[in-house]
Amino acid sequence: MTDQFKITPDLWEPIVIEDREKDKIVRKSLTYWQDAWRRLKKNHLSMLGLGVIFLLAFAAIIGPTLSPYSYSDQDLNMSNMPPRLELHKLEDGTFVHVHKEYRLYEVSESGEILSRIQHTKEDMINKTREFEFNGNEIVIDYKLAAINKDVPNAPKFTLTINGQQNDTADKTVWNKTYLFGTDTLGRDIFVRNLFGARISLLIALVATIVQFFIGVIYGGVSGYVGGRVDNFMMRVVDIVDTIPLMLYVILLMVVLGAGLMTIIIALGSVYWVRMARLVRGQVLSIKENEFILAARTLGASPWRIMVRHLIPNSMGAIIVSLAMMVPSAIFTESFLSFIGLGVSAPQASWGTLASDAMGGLRTYAYQLFVPSFFISMTVLSFNFLGDGLRDALDPRLRK
Amino acid sequence: MGKYIIRRLISMIITLVFVASITFFLMHAVPGGPFQSEKALPEAVIQALNEKYHLDDPLWKQYLDYMKGVFTFQLGPSFKRVGTTVNDLIIAGFPYSAKLGFFATLAIVALGIPAGIISALKSNKWQDYLVTILATVGVAVPSFVIGALFIYVFSSKLGWLPSFGLTSWKHYIGPVIALSGFSLAFVARLTRSSVLEVMQQDYIRTARAKGLPEIVVIVKHALKNALIPVVTYLGPMIAAMMTGSFIVEKIFAIPGMGKYFVESVSSRDYTVLMGTTIFYAAFSITMIFVVDIAYGFIDPRIKLGD
Repeated sequence: MTDQFKITPDLWEPIVIEDREKDKIVRKSLTYWQDAWRRLKKNHLSMLGLGVIFLLAFAAIIGPTLSPYSYSDQDLNMSNMPPRLELHKLEDGTFVHVHKEYRLYEVSESGEILSRIQHTKEDMINKTREFEFNGNEIVIDYKLAAINKDVPNAPKFTLTINGQQNDTADKTVWNKTYLFGTDTLGRDIFVRNLFGARISLLIALVATIVQFFIGVIYGGVSGYVGGRVDNFMMRVVDIVDTIPLMLYVILLMVVLGAGLMTIIIALGSVYWVRMARLVRGQVLSIKENEFILAARTLGASPWRIMVRHLIPNSMGAIIVSLAMMVPSAIFTESFLSFIGLGVSAPQASWGTLASDAMGGLRTYAYQLFVPSFFISMTVLSFNFLGDGLRDALDPRLRK
Repeated sequence: MGKYIIRRLISMIITLVFVASITFFLMHAVPGGPFQSEKALPEAVIQALNEKYHLDDPLWKQYLDYMKGVFTFQLGPSFKRVGTTVNDLIIAGFPYSAKLGFFATLAIVALGIPAGIISALKSNKWQDYLVTILATVGVAVPSFVIGALFIYVFSSKLGWLPSFGLTSWKHYIGPVIALSGFSLAFVARLTRSSVLEVMQQDYIRTARAKGLPEIVVIVKHALKNALIPVVTYLGPMIAAMMTGSFIVEKIFAIPGMGKYFVESVSSRDYTVLMGTTIFYAAFSITMIFVVDIAYGFIDPRIKLGD
């Protein structure tokens, strides 16, 4: 039997080099995170969102220092200046702008505000204001304002220059001095919104980080320890989850007093519930794996297992949830500011800026548009990024 | 089933006790008494006020009294509006908030769900793109921006609709749009992704292979399954309509409960703040409970007994 199957050296022959090359893995093998990044890069909307977020963060950090105005500089002569100026021609090269509060400004043709022209005479009974500028006589008659009170888009005044009525604007230009106009106290809206971006993004980021830590530790402990502890901890989560959380943020704010720190504490300490649920679910499934058993056999402490094995392995789901948390923090912050629990003046967040603009909405709507645009833009960007991350970090969707 | 309902009722009561306790102790942790104002009151007046509202009792006694009040629906007098109780304010304001919340919910169900279904069935056609774009923008714009824009365009610029109050049907349009905007967009997105997923299931292919008309496949086989996650969302959402409405009520000057809630925040009227919070929470918990029960009827896979 044995000599029949005798293996002789001539049965062996070396493989040709080319054949060996065929089995070689040429493509670089990617780690989980490299692969996720590769797939995220293919998602154009997500990359756009990421770009906008970086741009906003950059503008928020650098922007206010580059502007000639500070976020708290007041100039009552320049209050409520709009971003678009309607110009009336005075003489060649000299233009004036009639403000909605019937003040007169000298404006250059390209849109720089040169000076405010003080009125020489005001007739309250006949509702006229007279101005004198470079020898020209200008009269603003605002009787129409009361007559046309309930008519939308009707003219509110008549302008007479040297006896000639000039009602239609000769030119409409962008405000070059104040890019987005000014607010009721003559503060530059653009700078205030960039400063608001700092506060809003800071609140969103820190609140997200706070709820990340509380949620991950709570959920991790609950999931890893399991049993009765888990049961009790999850009942607490159930109870907290049925309470409308916004109410508790408001109550906390009332107790702690409004301010930057308290908003962060209130948001972070209330919104961890969803994160805790998520982490617990992840930990429950991961802890049954063999590598956890191996780590435990090797004598790794529970803390080490948690920090080195369980949390890193559930990081994908956590990151997606974090990206989705930021917009909801921005929303909540703006709601809080809106009912008067925001940061205190002269500091501003997008929420307080929008809230301040509500009073003059009918006349100075642009003051609301700017912060609203920023809020919507940021939330949209984070939503796009979050959607992309969810797809990129899901191994089942790998292509 | 009966056992499940009883267990859920008990957990509801526990939650409510929890909410009332947190609210009570939070409010008592506020530095300074409720009668502290810019104008210092004489010592005797403060003492008399404390005595009147039982604020000189030991904390545990105040707590027990308050909890007794919560369970007998007596939420105490308002500190700042002399002569009115929290109950009066809730009775005066809640109908407005409820009406508004009802119409907003109606709008979400009647518009959001069909929009999502159309979007999924016409996937990658212009209808889908339209719904997706609107829904994406909808979840990014806060309700106060929608409300303010609405007032600016339709009341201020065009003069078509009134901007405040709640007396005719025209008054409802703005607040309902502002209130339902976010959830409407969210429900449309949720419905879309859920229907898309269900349409790829094997049983849909089976239904089609049997030669069923497309409308039967969609209504009887696809929608019945696809709407389950949407129903889950609706419960907390109805509660959120209620709590979210105070922003909208403020913008449109509607004398609802939200108005009293916001007022009590700024005037530090603690009993009103506590009372309205507990009322909101109780309402929200009840809503979630109702949806959970309804959920068992819709999805036979969920056995409420376990």
